[in-house]
Amino acid sequence: MVNAQAESLFGYQPEELEGQPVEVLVPDAVRALHAQHRATYTADPKDRPMGSRIQLSARRRDGSTFPADISLANIDTDRGILVTAAVRDMTSRQQALEELEQANRNLESFAYSVSHDLRAPLRALSGFSAALLEECADGLGEAGRGYAERIQAASEQMATLIDDLLLLARVARAEINLQDVDLGAEVADIAGELRRGRPDRHVRFTIQQPVWVLADRDLVRTVLQNLLDNAWNFTSGRDDASIDFAAAPAADGRVCCHVRDNGAGFDPAYAAKLFQPFQRLHSARDFPGTGIGLASARQIVERHGGRTWAEGAVGAGATFYFTLRTAETI
Amino acid sequence: MTERHILLVEDNPDDEALTIRAFAKNNIRNDVVVVRDGAEAIDHLLAIDRGDAPSPILILLDLKLPKVGGLEVLRRIRAGHRTRLIPVVVLTTSVEQEDILAGYNGGANAYVRKPVNFSDFAEAVHTIGMFWLLLAEPPPDIILPPGPS
Repeated sequence: MVNAQAESLFGYQPEELEGQPVEVLVPDAVRALHAQHRATYTADPKDRPMGSRIQLSARRRDGSTFPADISLANIDTDRGILVTAAVRDMTSRQQALEELEQANRNLESFAYSVSHDLRAPLRALSGFSAALLEECADGLGEAGRGYAERIQAASEQMATLIDDLLLLARVARAEINLQDVDLGAEVADIAGELRRGRPDRHVRFTIQQPVWVLADRDLVRTVLQNLLDNAWNFTSGRDDASIDFAAAPAADGRVCCHVRDNGAGFDPAYAAKLFQPFQRLHSARDFPGTGIGLASARQIVERHGGRTWAEGAVGAGATFYFTLRTAETI
Repeated sequence: MTERHILLVEDNPDDEALTIRAFAKNNIRNDVVVVRDGAEAIDHLLAIDRGDAPSPILILLDLKLPKVGGLEVLRRIRAGHRTRLIPVVVLTTSVEQEDILAGYNGGANAYVRKPVNFSDFAEAVHTIGMFWLLLAEPPPDIILPPGPS
């Protein structure tokens, strides 16, 4: 039995397929094999749902083939087991996948040329404004020196932006190597680096250890680095700065981690905007940054199947949450 | 041209001027010979190999060059009888893992990313100059017999 949809999908006239073995719909090369499979299958029939991700192809009446997803179901009848097969033409899906892969390759070569081509003129801006300041300082006057300094600072800011943007692109395509990682140890390590960079600051760190998760070490380290850099920067105005890292079990074998600080905080009305690239809720004058860190963090956590969100209030600190899978061996 | 000159392979005139300025700022007074694309670099290497041009004591090599790429220039340097031992520092913008690996695989002695900030750039040029022109012992000045490559 075949329905009208099957006839049109395979290019047959109505009732032309009645009484034919199903192998007429199978490409010539695998036809004999299919008959064997069918014999094995009828001996022990099992349902196979749609989207089982088995790459199959089907044969039209004119001999041409198309990629197909085929599901099988079994119905017990008076005349024995009736096997129904639903066939879906996957041509457009396959084309979309190929186009997506091509787009990804284009993005990679774009990121590469951004890295190379945009940095060269920036180096010239920085270099020649430095040359102006050094060799023509008297002729420039005070205002002119100020302008040259602004050119230098702007070119360096743009170099940082490009690097951060490239990091974001790299995070999107990086291969994920899952392993057991103690986030507490990573946090302690980053906290030590932050302290060594600014020994004049007094920040109280409270770090839960160990917090074992199953994740890519380099990528989650980037997440923690971004969250701790933020906490460190946004507490810079406080003498009693404190930064906490802790974790609690969550549903589905996940662990919910958070980084909390008692710094400048943010208006909760903009909480959703925080994770978008280049969104900044504070002026560059108060707190420097490019607005890429949280976007990278979210992308990394989502690539691990986790979630990110933030809570905070102006002047009352901020808490950033993310979920990851609990380590398997612990 | 002095015996102890530096060969700069660089197509970007801004980077050329900045590199030469960074040498001057750091009191590195060696002559700098500039070749401005990969084909010109290979012609120059052939002239060195024929004995028509003196060997540099250091080559600074950009990777992204017009006509012939920097990696091919590096391959030709390592294949030339008079040039195969000359220290080569790749000085480029890319920090793509592939480029770094290809640079070292091709026999580069060091791979340095050009910083955007000029004071960092001048510092990098200073460090390269101090190390390769003053601290490191240069390879003996001999012509090697043809190798397997």
